[in-house]
Amino acid sequence: MAVASTTTTVAPHAVLDHIHPEPTSFIRKYIFSIDHKVIGVQYMITGMIFFVFAGLLAELIRVQLMHNDGRFVSPETYNQIYSMHGSAMVWMVIIPLVTGGFGNFVMPLQIGARDVAFPWLNLAAFWMFPVAGLLLFASFAVGAPDAGWTEYPPVSLQGPAGTSLWCIAIFLIGISSTLTGINFIVTIVKMRAPGMTFTRMPLFVWAQLATAGLSMIATTALAAALLALFLERTFGIPFYDPRHGGSPILWQHMFWFYSHPAVYIMILPAFGIISEVLPTFARKPIFGYKMIAFSSISIALLGFMVWAHHMFTSGLVPWLQLPFMIMTMIVAIPTGIKIFSWMATLWGGSIELSPAMLFAIGFLITFTFGGVTGVFLSAVPVDLHAHGTYFVVAHFHYVLYGGSVFGIFSGIYYWWPKMTGRLMSETLGKWHFWVTFVAFNCTFLPMHWLGLEGMPRRVGIYADTHDAVFWNQVASISSFFLAAATLLLFANMIYSFTKGKKAGPNPWGARTLEWMIPSPPPYYNFKKIPAVLAAPYDFGNPLPYIGLERVPGAEGPAVTRTPAPAPAT
Amino acid sequence: MAVSIAKQGKHGHGVAGQSLVHDEVIYQETREMRLLGFVLFLISDVVLFSAFIFAYLYLRNTVTPVWPPMLDGKQLPRLDVAFAGVNSCILFGSGVTMHYAMEAWKHAKKGAFNGWILGTIVLGTLFLCGQGYEYMHAQIGGWSGSIFGASFFTLTGMHGFHVLVGVVYLIVLWWQANKGVYDETHYFGLTAGTLYWHFVDVIWVALFFLFYLF
Repeated sequence: MAVASTTTTVAPHAVLDHIHPEPTSFIRKYIFSIDHKVIGVQYMITGMIFFVFAGLLAELIRVQLMHNDGRFVSPETYNQIYSMHGSAMVWMVIIPLVTGGFGNFVMPLQIGARDVAFPWLNLAAFWMFPVAGLLLFASFAVGAPDAGWTEYPPVSLQGPAGTSLWCIAIFLIGISSTLTGINFIVTIVKMRAPGMTFTRMPLFVWAQLATAGLSMIATTALAAALLALFLERTFGIPFYDPRHGGSPILWQHMFWFYSHPAVYIMILPAFGIISEVLPTFARKPIFGYKMIAFSSISIALLGFMVWAHHMFTSGLVPWLQLPFMIMTMIVAIPTGIKIFSWMATLWGGSIELSPAMLFAIGFLITFTFGGVTGVFLSAVPVDLHAHGTYFVVAHFHYVLYGGSVFGIFSGIYYWWPKMTGRLMSETLGKWHFWVTFVAFNCTFLPMHWLGLEGMPRRVGIYADTHDAVFWNQVASISSFFLAAATLLLFANMIYSFTKGKKAGPNPWGARTLEWMIPSPPPYYNFKKIPAVLAAPYDFGNPLPYIGLERVPGAEGPAVTRTPAPAPAT
Repeated sequence: MAVSIAKQGKHGHGVAGQSLVHDEVIYQETREMRLLGFVLFLISDVVLFSAFIFAYLYLRNTVTPVWPPMLDGKQLPRLDVAFAGVNSCILFGSGVTMHYAMEAWKHAKKGAFNGWILGTIVLGTLFLCGQGYEYMHAQIGGWSGSIFGASFFTLTGMHGFHVLVGVVYLIVLWWQANKGVYDETHYFGLTAGTLYWHFVDVIWVALFFLFYLF
């Protein structure tokens, strides 16, 4: 962007000045809106609804595993339950929440734009999401998919009719994801406020940029895999079925070429959320801004070179296993850079343990734990032992729940006042965090040793060796508390709507652009597009924006500081 | 052309249409955004084809000892290179005519533009007919017969679908151009159409090599 940044002369940037006409009818305002903020909130609401359903499926799994004799549901039903739990959580909850939800609401505000690049495309992409989710859950009516969320053939070829619905639903949400990715890249590359160079972008925007690249490129590979599966199930076109000359391993390659990057689609935006929350509540500049930004990009790039580490037990030739193992271990380097940068951000900060901050710190602990077990699993010999066991289940719940979902919770507490204009209850929020944190660890920690002692995943009836029933009961009972804790979040939302205090524009004293405007933001976001002079994290310096319309309270609540003691005379 | 610039301002950007210069800036910036978005769309489309090409090469190299594979105890024949070669030349030729259509438009030669773009549409349709003929006469055991049929018909079918979309798109562009939607400096739709058409051409180069020559 050719804009003089340190002077006050700002080149004309006409597209940024464009304002949509204010929507007047209810339908154009709240249902088929082209406003990125409304669409973001729509993603959040839809995603949270599916979160409840997918979470209930998880509880059914845990009820079944309370006992090892399968007395709750039949093995066939059990297969459908865990397959749907995984599919819904990945595609209908986490990915839409972190990209469509937070990405849509926050990212354009943070770059000082009035909307995304293609608002109508955004509208179309959103409406594919509830349709896809309903199609997915409708598969219960005709027999839900039962081959796990990965739907490996040949099992998925023989699966119930709902497997075809699953293909269509995931294909649809994939298109939505691709379109959102394209939209976000163009928005971030072309629509930043004058003076916001790439290295002045908030880190959440960097995370969304890396994620958008992944969504845009990886998701069409999944579309190809799904199309082939659908064709084979419907018309008998041989791709995967070995009886007709196909190869089931082919699915694994195509599926994981998408689904490993998808892991980073789910976690990179959470990294972005953490990078906003930590400096705000430590009241300190983020440590290693550039390293955090570039490590997002390098994680995204490495994400395309590691897919076969999911396939070490599939008969992959040894000379291919080694590079995939090494590349996977290399992912730990940029991730470690982030973890250490965040820890250094906390170091010496004046930390305020708000619910958002608690979830961010909880994220640091649980995500790091899950990351470390990820490095274990990347080693071929360890993976050969742990593959398909509860150790893997423990690992990915530590990174997906302890990572992505903790990030989502943190983001909800952080941006809720901006979305609704009202504060949530801090006390309820802290209860939510502590019950979640303890129950989460009690649910998933025992799965590590359950897995190492040989308990396979995806079975509803298991042997009671090594106290497996006891530890499963610990996990199950804790998981009920985990679900109950989520009710505290919903209670808090209701509390905030009915009794919550007015938030004002900037309740946390944060410095990114979304906090410089009223809460909730007006439909046009910024009355005047500001010019940006620096990255937003220099706490203690004046705000680096010029030309902003002054909103009372945008500097944040007055921070009382103890004056330095006078030098002794 | 002042008329169409004003139109841009009126339709797309109601609030900001104060001056022609301002409208021109908006047009250029919008054009850049659309161009980037369109190129990104094409990139994601390349991935779609690449994934199926990977599937084809993977199946070809892992699960069958011979290529073309066996079906019912007999080895399937190779595809007819000569016919497909001629058909490919038709498609590549349409890339050339599209290029000249674009050049004619930029130099405000409307008659030449109409000729070239209609030629492109005709050649694209001819290619589709050729492909249909080939589908009916290919002796490779049908779509569901073997991995050969599966990869060949799925990949070329996807490509054919893209050509079909392209032909329809070009007809729309031709109609728009004659209705005065574009002028010689504001013609993003034509740029996108040209890009798309060349993209379809390039994909065909890969498919022709992989199925007929390799």
